[in-house]
Amino acid sequence: MPHKILVVDDDNALREMVGIVLESEGFEVAFHDAGSGALDAFQKAAPDLVLLDVMLPGKDGIEVCREIRAIAGTPIIMLTAKTESEDVVRGLEAGADDYVVKPFDPGVLTARIRARLRPLGSGSEDTVTIGPLTLDVVGHEVRRGTEKLSLTPLEFNLLLTLALKPKQVFTREMLLETVWGYHYKADTRLVNVHVQRLRSKIEDDADNPKIVTTVRGIGYKAGQA
Amino acid sequence: MKLRSAVDWALGLFRRYLQVRAGFYTVVLSGIALAIVGGFLSYSIGNGLFSTRLNQVLSESERAAVDVQNTFSASSVTDEISLQTLMNSVVPNLESASTTESRQVALLRTPGQTAVQLLQSPISANLDIALIPNDLRVTVRKAEGKLIYQSIAIPVAGAEHPGVVVGAPIEIPLAGKYELYLIYDLNNEQATLDFMQRTLFFGGSILLLMIAAVSYFVTSWLVKPVREAAMVSEEIAEGALDRRLPERGEDVLAVLARSFNRMAESLQQQITKLASVSKMQQRFVSDVSHELRTPLTTIKLAGDVIFNSREKLEPAAKRSAELMHDQIERFQVLLNDLLEISRYDAGAVHADLEIQDINGVVGMAIAGIEPLAVSKGSRIDIDIPSGEADAEIDGRRIERLLRNLLANAIEHGEGKPILVSVGVNETAVAVSVTDQGIGMSRAEVDRVFDRFWRADPARKRTTGGTGLGLAISLEDTHLHNGWLQVWAKPNEGACFRLTLPRRKGVVFTESPLPLPPKKQIRKVKGVSN
Repeated sequence: MPHKILVVDDDNALREMVGIVLESEGFEVAFHDAGSGALDAFQKAAPDLVLLDVMLPGKDGIEVCREIRAIAGTPIIMLTAKTESEDVVRGLEAGADDYVVKPFDPGVLTARIRARLRPLGSGSEDTVTIGPLTLDVVGHEVRRGTEKLSLTPLEFNLLLTLALKPKQVFTREMLLETVWGYHYKADTRLVNVHVQRLRSKIEDDADNPKIVTTVRGIGYKAGQA
Repeated sequence: MKLRSAVDWALGLFRRYLQVRAGFYTVVLSGIALAIVGGFLSYSIGNGLFSTRLNQVLSESERAAVDVQNTFSASSVTDEISLQTLMNSVVPNLESASTTESRQVALLRTPGQTAVQLLQSPISANLDIALIPNDLRVTVRKAEGKLIYQSIAIPVAGAEHPGVVVGAPIEIPLAGKYELYLIYDLNNEQATLDFMQRTLFFGGSILLLMIAAVSYFVTSWLVKPVREAAMVSEEIAEGALDRRLPERGEDVLAVLARSFNRMAESLQQQITKLASVSKMQQRFVSDVSHELRTPLTTIKLAGDVIFNSREKLEPAAKRSAELMHDQIERFQVLLNDLLEISRYDAGAVHADLEIQDINGVVGMAIAGIEPLAVSKGSRIDIDIPSGEADAEIDGRRIERLLRNLLANAIEHGEGKPILVSVGVNETAVAVSVTDQGIGMSRAEVDRVFDRFWRADPARKRTTGGTGLGLAISLEDTHLHNGWLQVWAKPNEGACFRLTLPRRKGVVFTESPLPLPPKKQIRKVKGVSN
């Protein structure tokens, strides 16, 4: 069964063109043309992934992103015309998994989509523990004791990657490659923002992390230094 | 030391506060004025007291002298004993022993008379005849009935009282020439004068203190609007452009406040205008960015779809698809560069500084440019220091900058080896990119950072640069407070040297790498290509 992708963009030509590219790559595509009503369209289409333009009439993409995140962990890729820090970081903080800057190559777009739809790299174990957390690799669930934590697939993948090799320090570039599927130099802010979001969900005190710790000047690791 | 610090503190106050300075000068000048007035008052009061008392003394003395003379002239005594008795009565009659108005008396025989005298000269009990100066006695003898006086000091109980001695010649029948001396103690007047002077002194001191206080308060009151103006201008300088001075009254301070406020007003208008222009520029850049990029994305996607199915097209359409594909790429690069440079012009660029190893950034830039170098047959040699060369930089911008320098070197390097050197010292890191290609003339070097300027317009464009690359590189360098310098010689090659401070805010004065570069390319650690 093909993956379903919801494209939210107000530009008719671009929306149609993205649709052509994605359908030729074998995806099923649904469309919406504004920020308002995007959440309804999302619930109706139940897509596997959302391509979301940042600048939308009615309600901007960042707000839409926040709304979708509130009800689902579905991967979201922002389409942005800006590379200015604030816009990118704002989108990521609102819960977007990744972003693609216009104008983009069709190849880049489909690679980013496939990276987000790729099944998680499953290890040999069924469950992994990290600090007080238990990760159910098969069921994609994280529990602290009996309490179930709601992580997006990306956050789960990020935590699992760190937890599978608890002794290893991961550089941001390594995480970009393993978790995001970038095989070339990409924006390390992706990692920073998502580690921050992950910490806010799993740590008791996100300012003083115990589960995902920062190794100054290098990157991140699971457990305390 | 304590005294010194106190003096320093006082001098500090003096320098810092206008009121203190004004108060000080007022006190000094008023002090001088008060001293002059006080001195004059004290002098004239003293004089007045003395002359009043003197007149009184003289008239008393005159009366006394006349009485005594009359007493003797009118007496009918013939024997010495009676005369002596009469003479003795003179002293108690005239003398007064009151402490305030003491008057002592002496009736002395004029020396040098031929007739033998057995009569005693009567004097007041406490009187020391030595008090009566000899020259006064000489003058009295020649006075012929007039009163002669002289000021003297009378020793009383260890202190000296001012006094006047008045003398008059007396003719005593049978006894011959005598002199009558009346000695007046002027202590009372002196006490009055002393009291006056003390009062003047204390009054003056209190007046001076009050003047100091008044001048301090008046100056403070005058300085207050000036101080307010100083404070407000300080605040305006720090960015609170809407601060104004209160405008009260019609005086010169109100004029100052009004013109100050007018100045601040026009300043604020200018700045707001500039800020809004800059904001509009940024908005424009942002809008253009979005408006151009969205259709370009569609064009690009469509171009790619057509390009990917070009094999199915007729030869002319196929070639068109290829050309369109390349030109869309070029258009995209040009648009990116244009937007980047206008972001700089709008001041909307901020560096994402992070401490990084510059060697890693250089390596990444070389890796990114390698396909181009391979296709042009240029070898890239690197010469990097063994130790760590970390610097606080925006890695993405510096990598882009170095990639741009490398692309230029490859384009103008005529396929000869290109050397990338990294240098580091205490305060700075440097990267130089040296080619051995066609180089540039002096005039060309001067224009190399100009927008859309190309080294040789006649040359075929092969790498598709936009003409904005070096201008953006220079802006990126300025963003890091660094230097981007160039050396070139026709047919010898060119060298671009980038020098960056190792930490934000560090000032460096010297680049770790030489410019022009060292002649021979020594260490050859080739990048495989």
